[in-house]
Amino acid sequence: MNNVALGRYLPLDSTIHKMDPRAKIAMMFMIIVAVFIPAGFYGYAVIGLTILLCLYLSKLKVGYALRSMKPMIIMMVFLLIVNVLVLKTGYPLLTIGKFSIYSDAIFQTLYIVIRLMLMIICTTILTATTKPLDLTLGIEKILKPFEKIGIPGHIIAMMISIALRFIPTLIEETQRIMNAQASRGVDLENGKLKEKIMAVLSLIVPLFISSFERADQLANAMEARGYNPSHPRTRYKVLKMTTIDYLGMVVSAVCLIVCIVIGVVL
Amino acid sequence: MSIKVNKLEHIYSKGTPFEYKALQGIDLEIREGKVTAIIGETGSGKSTLVQHLNGLLIPTAGELEICGFKILPLLKNKDIKKLRKEVGLVFQFPEYQLFEETIERDIAFGPKNFGATEEEAKELVKKVLPLVGLDESYLERSPFELSGGQKRRIAIAGILVLDPKVLVLDEPAAGLDPKGASDMMDLFIRLNKEGKTIILVSHDMEHVMKYCDDVVVLDDGKVKHASDVKTFFEHPEWMVQIGINPPAIIRLKMMLQEKGWNIPADCLDEDTLLEVIRKQVKNHE
Repeated sequence: MNNVALGRYLPLDSTIHKMDPRAKIAMMFMIIVAVFIPAGFYGYAVIGLTILLCLYLSKLKVGYALRSMKPMIIMMVFLLIVNVLVLKTGYPLLTIGKFSIYSDAIFQTLYIVIRLMLMIICTTILTATTKPLDLTLGIEKILKPFEKIGIPGHIIAMMISIALRFIPTLIEETQRIMNAQASRGVDLENGKLKEKIMAVLSLIVPLFISSFERADQLANAMEARGYNPSHPRTRYKVLKMTTIDYLGMVVSAVCLIVCIVIGVVL
Repeated sequence: MSIKVNKLEHIYSKGTPFEYKALQGIDLEIREGKVTAIIGETGSGKSTLVQHLNGLLIPTAGELEICGFKILPLLKNKDIKKLRKEVGLVFQFPEYQLFEETIERDIAFGPKNFGATEEEAKELVKKVLPLVGLDESYLERSPFELSGGQKRRIAIAGILVLDPKVLVLDEPAAGLDPKGASDMMDLFIRLNKEGKTIILVSHDMEHVMKYCDDVVVLDDGKVKHASDVKTFFEHPEWMVQIGINPPAIIRLKMMLQEKGWNIPADCLDEDTLLEVIRKQVKNHE
């Protein structure tokens, strides 16, 4: 549980860490849009290079970014199996008796897997280099213009920041309850299906109860300090875009445009 | 058989930027049939140490011997479930582990995990309830409608029902009112008299002084002191060193000594202290 890399901030000192969160969010948005453009493997190569550049500048270890993909492995294997069984186009690669594996099945899986990998690494870089609070501040500022058409930017940002804030707490809590139940003989790995269901239940029920209690307390604590989402608020930290931020956005924009061009040409 | 800890080390998240050395070479022997207190500041490694005792954590180096089980690094042992039946671990605020609809079913959860039948488990529950000071009228009630102190009793009963030889408690009295806390401690002393080895993580020096036999002081992942209670409280400077507030009686003694009174080190309870003071006042007159 402690090894969950997804969404955790890593306090390092790098160019990417120092960037404006708004710029980083915009960059991530552009790159993810680029990922969804059907530009084939060339497109993915362009995006991959851009992401590698970010990874290098962020001083994150490649191993760390790759580890954030661990939870996806099961899904990738599942995708591969489904594709191999269902897709029967392209040319057969391997034939065993009546059954053959077709090239498209492999390509299709590769496409999806690469897309997922690129997106996950991209978001991992964002969350690992940006403090959750800066991230939500960035979201709030980006949503600011939409407040006129009734999108409550501040409330959305507050909800996201609370959710982010409580992810580690929840992981810790889950670990604690797992330990407590393991001491009562719960075995999450072995045992019959009925026992496993019981084991999961013994985790989820206490987790829900403490989460609701926590939410209640948090709401009271916020109200006690006079929190009112509709009042104007000032900021301790004021965001400011610098050259490197504009440069980063230009690089991602170029990446996006290249992908669009490749997609159209192909 | 006593519990032997040999050069135990534990490193969390090894090989990541979050790497943290929680225990760095613990050597320790915990006597069987005694009440041992483990004390130390927050982050000194107490909770990490106690989680090794029933195999929830496996050492990254060193070894641990408990109830005939040897816990070594990289151990993946199917026997670990047997160990958990022998060593009952009650976490801090155990009331958060309750989940069943009725108290009876919640307490019976443990025995059933260890292979007891429905009937056997129910019998065990009936036996364990009076131990924690609750009667059978509670069996059919929901654990969530009880008070905090009662919930904690139910949670502790959920471990006691397994009849462990060694009972490890992480701050069992935290957050209880003084009456509830001393009831709780009396329960553990009673269990100790019945032959259980009790290991207690505590911040409350009054409890340590009153109820425990041995004291282990952890500091920064190392054992700073390990001795019997009497020796420990004869050296109040140890407590001051590691930032622990000594019990009231020791504080009084220290204040008197500062003012020039001659109080012997082994004078640790109210009656002897009073006697010493009385004698000195008489001599003075």
